[in-house]
Amino acid sequence: MPRVQVNLYATLRRYVGGAPSVEVEIDPGRTIEAVLAGLGVPTDQTRILFLNNRAANLSDTLKDGDQLGVFPALGGG
Amino acid sequence: MAVIYRVNMTDLSVRSEAPGPGYLETGGRGLTSALIAAEVRPTCHPLSPENKLVIAPGVLTGTGAPCSGRLSVGAKSPLTGTIKESNSGGMGAIAMATLGIRAIILEGKPADRGLYRLIVNTEGIQIEPADELAGLGNYETVGRQYEEFGDKVSCLSIGQAGEMGAAAASIAVTDVEGRPTRHCGRGGLGAVMGSKGVKVIVIDPRGGHRPKPADVEAFKRGAQKFQEILKGHPLTGEGLPTYGTNALANVINQAGAYPTRNFSQGQFEGTEAISGEHQHDVILERGGEIAHACHRGCTIKCSRIYVDENGQYVTKGPEYETIWAHGADCGIDDLDAIARMDRLDDDFGLDTIETGATIGVAMEAGIIPFGDAEGAIGLLEEVGRGTPLGRLVASGAEVLGKAYGVSRIPTVKGQSMPAYDPRAVQGIGVTYATSTMGADHTAGYSIAANVLGVGGTVDPLKPEGQVELSRNLQIATASIDASGLCLFVAFAVLDKPEAMDAICDMFSGLLGREFTADDYLALGKATLAREREFNRAAGFTAADDRLPDFFKTEKLAPHGATFTVSDEELDTVYNFVGE
Repeated sequence: MPRVQVNLYATLRRYVGGAPSVEVEIDPGRTIEAVLAGLGVPTDQTRILFLNNRAANLSDTLKDGDQLGVFPALGGG
Repeated sequence: MAVIYRVNMTDLSVRSEAPGPGYLETGGRGLTSALIAAEVRPTCHPLSPENKLVIAPGVLTGTGAPCSGRLSVGAKSPLTGTIKESNSGGMGAIAMATLGIRAIILEGKPADRGLYRLIVNTEGIQIEPADELAGLGNYETVGRQYEEFGDKVSCLSIGQAGEMGAAAASIAVTDVEGRPTRHCGRGGLGAVMGSKGVKVIVIDPRGGHRPKPADVEAFKRGAQKFQEILKGHPLTGEGLPTYGTNALANVINQAGAYPTRNFSQGQFEGTEAISGEHQHDVILERGGEIAHACHRGCTIKCSRIYVDENGQYVTKGPEYETIWAHGADCGIDDLDAIARMDRLDDDFGLDTIETGATIGVAMEAGIIPFGDAEGAIGLLEEVGRGTPLGRLVASGAEVLGKAYGVSRIPTVKGQSMPAYDPRAVQGIGVTYATSTMGADHTAGYSIAANVLGVGGTVDPLKPEGQVELSRNLQIATASIDASGLCLFVAFAVLDKPEAMDAICDMFSGLLGREFTADDYLALGKATLAREREFNRAAGFTAADDRLPDFFKTEKLAPHGATFTVSDEELDTVYNFVGE
């Protein structure tokens, strides 16, 4: 079964027991939104998404070996 | 009554004057740049008596407007040779505003090369000899002032770097606890203060009064609305207070734009160990403090108190840029070592961005290896001792890189780039190249739309749309920098149009006349036009508005990106001047 790595940051880690990263088995063609929903991460709190280090959208579909980076609203500098 | 003080360090005299009509409705960077442009010969040497150091709170500072405690310092920069404004939090700006002071202008240079301190209070400004402070760091310098004057004063001071005229020297501003942790870091303005023979400025606001708005009710309505917006926005209301500025480390690393080992890679394998999330956990485990305000009236509270394993105070923050500069850029993943370097930077009075970037170049040169935290601390300590190598470190990345024959030197107009690689975030490359300040992220924070999804979305890896993005942000930033508001309010302003209305309401209430968004942006445009003209007269041309060549020729992993915004496009950033 295809697997993706989901890296969660800041306040979003509370939804996966504080873990910085989880591996998830997916059906081919699953969207980022569906994977996050399956983890219990509220998508209305996700603001910055990366799929393999490029900006992504919740509707983007995933394939084996993909790496996700998911952040709430953050800034600084 | 609003007052501008002129402190002549040649004959040790002080003169007060009423601000001219053109200066009444501006402040902060708007005022420092207007005064420098009007009064300083652009080709003068930055450490000569002809240069002036202008210190100014913002228009809204001291009024009770949320997050309005920024202090601007301006001069011709010894680092870049351009006009320069560097701003800071801390309590100094509020203390000045409480005394009705719109600006303090330091002029001339003492013939005896002595050191002095300035005492600023309701009586005016007194100049006193202070040779006993020579060679002291900022912590000891301000500690002695607090012993003498009590805890109600604020201090602006320089450390050893400023005394030696180093181009990376900062001016420290004391925070709420009276520690010298907030800095006007960029551009070496501590060296200008040192050249005037001023070690410390003690500002005693007792007996002063908060500036009174012409229309108190209108002002209050705007301030209250603004506070609600800042508290309700997820970034200014939760992200920044909880994780601080260093929440960005993982974001920028994910984007492949986290400059690593002197800008040779775009991702750092040690990021998690120096991330805002890890920093948050370490601080709370050890009994430090998160959600700390650097000045009274700040509702965002992005600062923190960092303590060691025994719970003893080490330093503030450290901030994102500092942790990157001394961390990823040097291949160092030890947060405690980085905190020690932040403390040394604050004590010696050094810009943490310039200093970290310089150590990265020193590692590239082979003076010490990448990843050598103790070696990096040793290099910094050389600054405090004033050794020849220490003086090179305190002179910035370009000088040290040239001295050691390094070809990869990440500077524009002599100033080191901060924590975003312009190949992976092209919009910030436009700001680095064209800002009147040299490579400066705060001058036009394109990261917002390029990476953070704030204020629209522009693909960070393509050249399209970057010039317009940077131009608009540079104008808006110059306006914010005049207001005294912290730049971080921009995250809410870019997302919520009603925040701009609230700012205009505060200006209208304070000034007693209708103040529109157009008036606000006009402040920024006028400032940029003056700064640009100063730089032109100082000898800068379009050829100076460029990134170092390696950003066009060396591909950056993981995207294999180079900087692709054309020179012709860069030359259109300032096409609004003269409109």
